Amino acid sequence: MKLMTLAGKEAQDILRNRIYILVVFVQVFIILGAFGLAFISSVATDPNIIDNYGLNSALKVGISQDLNGSTLAEDLKAQNLNLVYCKDMNKAESLVGRNFVAVVEVSPNQDVTLKMDNSNIFYPVVSTKVNNAVNEFKIEKSLGSAGFNDSEIQKVQNLVTLKVVNVDGSHASGIALESPNFVEIMYGFVVPFILLLPFFLAGNIVTDSIVGEKERKTFEILLMAPVSSSTVVVGKILPILGFSMLQSLVWILLLDLLRVPIYNMFALLFILFFVGLGFIGIGVIISMMVDSTKEANSAITIVLVFATFVLFMPLFTKVPYFGGILNFIPTVLMVKLASSPELNPVLLVESIPTIILSLCIFLVTLKYFRHERAIRL
Amino acid sequence: MKFTTITKWEFKDTLSSRKSVMIFILQLSILLLMIVVFNSFVANMESEQGLSIAPSLSGFASVNVQDSSGLFQKRINTQVLDVTSSNYNSSLKKMQQGQSTGFLQVPDDTVNDIRTMKPVNLVLYVDYTDPKRSLVENEVNSTAKTMQDAISASWVGSLNPQNDSEPEFSQKSAGGAMPAQVMDRVMLAILLFLPLFLFGNMLVDSIVGEKERKTGEILIAMPISQAQVVLGKGMAVVLTIAIQVALWILILLIAGFQIKNLFLVYALVVLTSLPVVGITSAVSAYAKNYKEAGIVLSFIYIGIVGFLIIPAVAYVARKSMAANISSMTLVMRLLSGEPVAPVDYLPAILCIVIVGLLSYWIAVKLFQREDVSFGPRPGILKLLKDLVSLKF
Repeated sequence: MKLMTLAGKEAQDILRNRIYILVVFVQVFIILGAFGLAFISSVATDPNIIDNYGLNSALKVGISQDLNGSTLAEDLKAQNLNLVYCKDMNKAESLVGRNFVAVVEVSPNQDVTLKMDNSNIFYPVVSTKVNNAVNEFKIEKSLGSAGFNDSEIQKVQNLVTLKVVNVDGSHASGIALESPNFVEIMYGFVVPFILLLPFFLAGNIVTDSIVGEKERKTFEILLMAPVSSSTVVVGKILPILGFSMLQSLVWILLLDLLRVPIYNMFALLFILFFVGLGFIGIGVIISMMVDSTKEANSAITIVLVFATFVLFMPLFTKVPYFGGILNFIPTVLMVKLASSPELNPVLLVESIPTIILSLCIFLVTLKYFRHERAIRL
Repeated sequence: MKFTTITKWEFKDTLSSRKSVMIFILQLSILLLMIVVFNSFVANMESEQGLSIAPSLSGFASVNVQDSSGLFQKRINTQVLDVTSSNYNSSLKKMQQGQSTGFLQVPDDTVNDIRTMKPVNLVLYVDYTDPKRSLVENEVNSTAKTMQDAISASWVGSLNPQNDSEPEFSQKSAGGAMPAQVMDRVMLAILLFLPLFLFGNMLVDSIVGEKERKTGEILIAMPISQAQVVLGKGMAVVLTIAIQVALWILILLIAGFQIKNLFLVYALVVLTSLPVVGITSAVSAYAKNYKEAGIVLSFIYIGIVGFLIIPAVAYVARKSMAANISSMTLVMRLLSGEPVAPVDYLPAILCIVIVGLLSYWIAVKLFQREDVSFGPRPGILKLLKDLVSLKF
C-alpha cells in the first residue's frame, strides 16, 4: 500500500514535469527523422528501387553523340540510365558533378572510360549500372568476334537464372521499403536505438528524483518515514520503469504504423525491462554518490556514453574472437527478436546474462541505498 | 577588480575540485572510445568498398543451401547471412519454424550443365513473412550474377584464348566515396569540436548556481561590474575548453591521426568556443534552475552542432563557398591539407564575432536585470518587448 502511494506520487511528478513530456515528443521527431533518413538513403543507393520508383532521370550520364545507336549505348540504356548525347566530350567532362553523375568515353580502339563524381549521392548506382553495361558490352563483342550470333550470345549471357518462390506469400510482412539496405539500417540500428531511448531518459529522471530530494533536503524526511528503504527505492524505480516501458511500447506501435513491423513484442519488452532496471539501478547508485544535479548529470552522461559504446558497437563491428560474447549483448538480441516472425527460444536463453547483470545492479542499488554513508544524514 | 580575477577564481575552483578533474579525465576516456569507434567504422567501410555505413551484424539473416557442386554456396556473402548446407524438406521445415529466411536450391548436375552450356536454373524459396527477405534475395541475386559473369568470362576465354582485342574498361573518379570522405574528413573535425559541448554544465553551475545558492547578491555587491562577472566566468570555461582541446589533439596525434595545420586548427576550434560559451551564459543568466538550463541548452547545442556539421558535410558533397560559414568546414579543409584562402576565413570569423558579441551582450543585460536574477522572472515576450522599446 505504502509502495503504491510512493509510486503514485513519483508517477504524478513525472507526468506533471513539462520537460519530460517535451523530451517524449522530441523522441517522436527522432524516430521520424531516423526513418526518413534510412528511407531516403536506401532509395538513393538501390538500383532496383530507383528503377521501380522511376527515378532514373536523376542518373544522368553523358556520352558522345557518335555512339548514338551503338551496342554500348543500347547496353547503357538497358540499365535504365538517363543518357545525354554530347557533341563536345571535353565540355561534358567538365560538367561531371554538376549536370552529370558520370560521362562514358570510348577510345578509337573501343576502350571504355567512365569518369564520375564519387561524392554524388547516386554514384554507387550509376557505377553499378555502367559496370553491368560494360561487362555485357565486352562479352557481346568477344562472342561476336568469335562468330556467335545474337541468340547464342543471349544464351551465354543468361546461363544462370534465378527463380524466386514466395513461401507464405499471402501473409507477407508489409515493410515500408523492399530494400536490403533499409532493412539492415532499420532493424540493425534504428529499432534498438529507438526502443532504448526512453531508458536513456530514465537514467536522468531517477537522478533528478533522488538528487532533487537531496537538494531540497526532503530526502532525510523520506527516509525517516515508516517505510523500509527497499520500499523507497522500488517506489521510485517502478513508475520510472513503467514510464519508459510505456514509451517503448508506443514506439513499437509507431514503427508498426510506419510499416516497420516489430516481432516478438513481449520478448522484446521482457529484455527492455531488465535493461531498464540496470540503467535505473546505475542512476540510483550515481544519485547516492553525488551531491548535486550538476554532478549527477555529468556522471550519467558519461555512463550513457559508455553504455552506448557497449550496446551499439557490436552492431557495426566484426570481432571474430568475441563473436560468442556479442550474442549476449541486449541490442544484438533485440535486433534478432524484432526482425524474426517466429520466436527463437535460444534468444531467450541468451538473454540470461542481461537478466543476471541487471538483478545484480538492482541488489547493489538496494544495499547501497541502505548504506548510511551514502545517505549522509 | 577585473574579469580576470573572476576567471582565476573559477579556474582554480575547477582544478581544485576532485570531481571536476575526474570528469575531465573521464572525458578523455570518452575520446579513447571515440577513436576505437572511428577506426572500426573506417575499417568496416573499407571492407565494404566505401559504399555503405549500414550495420553489419553477423548472422542477421540466414539461408539454407542445397548445392552439391559447392560453386554457388561458397560465393554467398557471409557478412550478414548465415549460410548452412541443407536439403529441401529440412530447409522448408526450418523456414516454417522461423529458423531461416530462405532456401537456395542449386540443380545437382550444375558442373556438367555449365560445361555443356546448358542454363543453370536456381530456385530460391523465400519466407515472405520475414522482413529480411529482401536481404536474402539481394545476396543470392548477387551470387547468381557473380557466377554468371564468371561463366561468361570463362566461355569468352576458352573461345578466344589469345584474344587481346577485348576492350579495356577503366574508371576515373573525382574524390573518394561520399561515406568514406565524410568519415575521413568530417569525423576528425567532429572529434576536435566535441570538447566545446562538454563544459556547458560548468558554466551553468557557475551562473545558475549563484541564483540557487543565493550568492548572486554578494557577487553584485562586490566592486566589479556584472559584465566583468559574466565575462570572467565565461573565460574560465573557454580556458578549460582550450586545455581539453589541446589534450585531445595530443591524444589524437599519439593515436596516429594526422593533423595538418595544427595551430590554425587549434585556434579555430578554441575561437568557436567563444559564441558557444556566450550562448550558454545567456541561457544560464535567464534560467531559473540548473535543470531548466540543462534541457534548453541540450536543444540549443543540437542546433549549434547541426549548424557546424551540415555545411561541412555539404562542402564534401559540393564545394560551395557558402559552407565556409561553419568553422568546422574550415577545420576540415585545413585538416585535409586543402589550401584555404584568407577570404574563406571571413564568413566563419564574422559569424563567430557577431554571435559571440551578441550572446555576451544578452547574457550581461540579463544578468544586470534584477527581475531576472532575483525574480519575479519576466517572460520571453516581455523581454522581447523591452528589447524593441530599448528598455532591455
